[in-house]
Amino acid sequence: MPTNRPALEPLRSPYRIQYLTDEQLDKLQEATLDILENVGVKFPSEKALNVFIEHGATVDKNTQIVKIKRDLVFKAMKTMPRFFVMGARIPEYDLNLEEGTTYFTTDGCGVEVVDLDATQPRPSTKADVGMMARVADYLPSIGFYWPMVSAQDCGVTSPLHELEVGWNNTVKHFQSETIMGGREATYAVEMATVIAGSRENLRKRPPLSSLICTVSPLMQDHPGIEAAMVFAGAGIPVGFLAMPTLGTTAPSTQAGALAMGDAEIISATVLLQLMFPGCPIYHSMMQAWADMRTGGYVSYPRDARGRYGVVEMAHHWGMPSLGACYGTDSVRPGTWQSAAEPALDPFLAGLAAPEIVTGMGLSRTYTRLFPEQIILDDDLYQRARAYLQRMDVDDESLAMEAIRNVGPGGHFLGQRHTRDHMKTSLVRGVTHQLDSNSKYRDPIEVARERVRWILKNHEPEPLEASQQAELTRILAAADKELA
Amino acid sequence: MSSETPSLQPIRPTRHFHVIDDEQIHQLADGTLEILAETGVHCPSEKCLRIYADHGAQVDFEKQIVRLAPDLVTDSLSTAPRYYKMGARSPSHDIDLDGKSMFCATDGCGIETIDFATRQRRPSCKEDVAAMARISDYLSSIGFYWPIVTAADHPSTSPLHELDASFNNTVKHVQSETVMGERLGKYAVEMARVVANDDETMRKRPPLSLLVCCIAPLAQDKEGMESALQFAEAGLPVGFMSMANAGSTGPATLAGNIVAGHAEIVSALVLIQMAYPGAPVFHSFMPGIMHPRTGAFLTTALENELPYVIGVELAHHWGVPTLAGIFGTDAATPGWQAAEEASTALLLCALAGAETGSGLGLLETCRLLVPEEIILDNDIYHRVRIEAAGLDTSREALALDVIKAVGPRSHYLKQRHTRENIRRRVFSDLANQSNPLGGMRDPVEAAREKVDWILKNHHPQPLEEVQQKELTRILAGAEQEIGGRE
Repeated sequence: MPTNRPALEPLRSPYRIQYLTDEQLDKLQEATLDILENVGVKFPSEKALNVFIEHGATVDKNTQIVKIKRDLVFKAMKTMPRFFVMGARIPEYDLNLEEGTTYFTTDGCGVEVVDLDATQPRPSTKADVGMMARVADYLPSIGFYWPMVSAQDCGVTSPLHELEVGWNNTVKHFQSETIMGGREATYAVEMATVIAGSRENLRKRPPLSSLICTVSPLMQDHPGIEAAMVFAGAGIPVGFLAMPTLGTTAPSTQAGALAMGDAEIISATVLLQLMFPGCPIYHSMMQAWADMRTGGYVSYPRDARGRYGVVEMAHHWGMPSLGACYGTDSVRPGTWQSAAEPALDPFLAGLAAPEIVTGMGLSRTYTRLFPEQIILDDDLYQRARAYLQRMDVDDESLAMEAIRNVGPGGHFLGQRHTRDHMKTSLVRGVTHQLDSNSKYRDPIEVARERVRWILKNHEPEPLEASQQAELTRILAAADKELA
Repeated sequence: MSSETPSLQPIRPTRHFHVIDDEQIHQLADGTLEILAETGVHCPSEKCLRIYADHGAQVDFEKQIVRLAPDLVTDSLSTAPRYYKMGARSPSHDIDLDGKSMFCATDGCGIETIDFATRQRRPSCKEDVAAMARISDYLSSIGFYWPIVTAADHPSTSPLHELDASFNNTVKHVQSETVMGERLGKYAVEMARVVANDDETMRKRPPLSLLVCCIAPLAQDKEGMESALQFAEAGLPVGFMSMANAGSTGPATLAGNIVAGHAEIVSALVLIQMAYPGAPVFHSFMPGIMHPRTGAFLTTALENELPYVIGVELAHHWGVPTLAGIFGTDAATPGWQAAEEASTALLLCALAGAETGSGLGLLETCRLLVPEEIILDNDIYHRVRIEAAGLDTSREALALDVIKAVGPRSHYLKQRHTRENIRRRVFSDLANQSNPLGGMRDPVEAAREKVDWILKNHHPQPLEEVQQKELTRILAGAEQEIGGRE
């Protein structure tokens, strides 16, 4: 029996901050154009190179480097839709991307799981993807789902298995960051068509979107770009994510890293707009830092500026943005570090207003799933959401009558106004839950209990039997061809 | 051999931000004026009531209720300075409240300490105030020092001992939130004069300020108001804080709690301006929400943080600087909750233009000192400071020449630009610290180690010997008059 799911609670704020000035945004864009025209980007795909040649870009087939003049960049970018729909299995959970509304997703692509009752990690499986889809389906902070971990028990077709188990456990939009390669993408499009009901619906309300990583410095990934061309052809939204690492794969100054990453994203976007003018594309950049003592990847140094500047860079190009929040470097949840690093993220995201944002719920720099972490991250999200809302100031909330009744000294406990409002006045997060001795409970214990409750009680609406059978059939064919 | 106190690193936001529009500000301010005119504030000090009455307030001496007409409030506040300086022992650590920077203090008035050596929980003492002053002196995040705990080993004169321990262990400005009553006030002003060296310097660069709590709902504290008058007379800044608790000592709606709390603050600011026009004052609003099942004062419930920022905006509406409420976690141990609750409020208050904020370093809703918490809070402070400072897009930062030189593929490790700039990137000295086993150190452990390092290595410039002696003499005089160590 399906259970009630709370309505989505995206971030919507009357407040907005401009992180980079218009002049700085122009300067960064000029730098991107300079890189595209004079340095170029490597596209290891014959098909992509031919598209660029047809449209007049300078292509060196030998080195596979494409140089794009600014006129061609702007010509291609002109067809880019600023907003589009990311559909869901149930229309009421469709995400209509629009100015000032921000939807969050889970983190994704983790490789280890520490179960609620365990202390040691184990490799992640398809069942974990399903379990967390059910938790994400219930949480109003989660607008769409990234498969949180890799279905490592499913071999090379794991990305397609992640899709199947995802759609069987959430009605929300599904975004994959693992489907790479033209054939794989073709199967994914087939699966998405089953969910959407028809090719036409797939274009109108695509229940699937894809995120493709570029390779820094200044390269595209062959299977990634092949998949992107298949998705874009079917009307499925595609995002390009640059992850420049300051000091190793990028310059060690933030502005330089951002300009270079932007060139990677824009070059791929130009390709898709040239092939399929008007296809939905979004922009994403998550810069990181090299720890020069270990070569380690640090996503949260003290100076993580730029995390929200990239949102403005996307908007400056006229594209929606997938912002980057969370993803602590802490090895487990509930530590000081796991809160100190992402605490500002949802708040600043709300102020910069990317249309979509990843991602809650993983530790150890996106690699390890503790099921309770998503609840702790959700608490940070709800805290930010409260900050971002305008406060009520009207006759009832000003409480002048109650203040006059009480006067100096005394208390408000006997006032009807207090009785009427106290229940909604204190919004408890995981931090202010009481135990039987009226002491505050450990927030991590509260979070574990909430996950158990959701898994026990929440049953999203299942797919129709014919859809389930069809997905199974497609998976079997994919396993046969690709495995 | 003394060590140098690092330069202050205040938060200098590249942009400012309003969380509330002018219409709402006026609704809240009008609500406060209506309460002041119709309901009034209880003020149990004969001296204060006379000042109010002499300046045109409607005073009921029997009930000790003061009512203030809106014009009287706005006229009185018109003499309050919007900007001024809070001095330090070392001029380079003076704080300019100029509306461009936010300076933060430690938290204060805790009552228990996790002992630095034994790690056992015990009542706080003067030695804790001194040790934490030394740590605060070292941290660039700490712009001025609140005696972080009570010198409970000196019960009757503890506020003066806290000042003695503070002035002896930091060159930074000291703000007391415990000097209450005329007798303590008199000695505290004397001590400030010794540190400043003379009356004129004390007025120009006051090394001491005072924060006085009002009593919600709608009441003043006699002792607090009378010491505030003494401080104001000597030119030392005084501030008033409301800690109205929605549901018990304030209405259960946020806006109602704000207008009631502000009536307390504004009535006190008015008194000081009536008595000493132009005296430096500041405003502080740190409300709570009552936990409906325990009655506890909660500072960081999900919905309670916005009123802190609105407090900042209202201070500016009244034309005075603010002391914003930051940190002050409800958590009992350093960890996830303490970190979760801190940074957004700090960033918002900075973006709203708060001049000062308090405070770093305590747990259990400002009651428990765990020494390493200030180091963890310091890390969060700097994350916020850097976040507020904007991005460098100069030619050097854009690194176009380097990007062109490296081109597609390859890497940046060999570039001179990388060598020069990677060292300028700011990494946490707590998070991502490798341990010898190849894993990462627990940031809380790293913070504990840093506490030990600072206490071993950092010894701020001491007071001159003659000043030390003078403070000791004043303390002895106070103990003789008021009572000594028990």
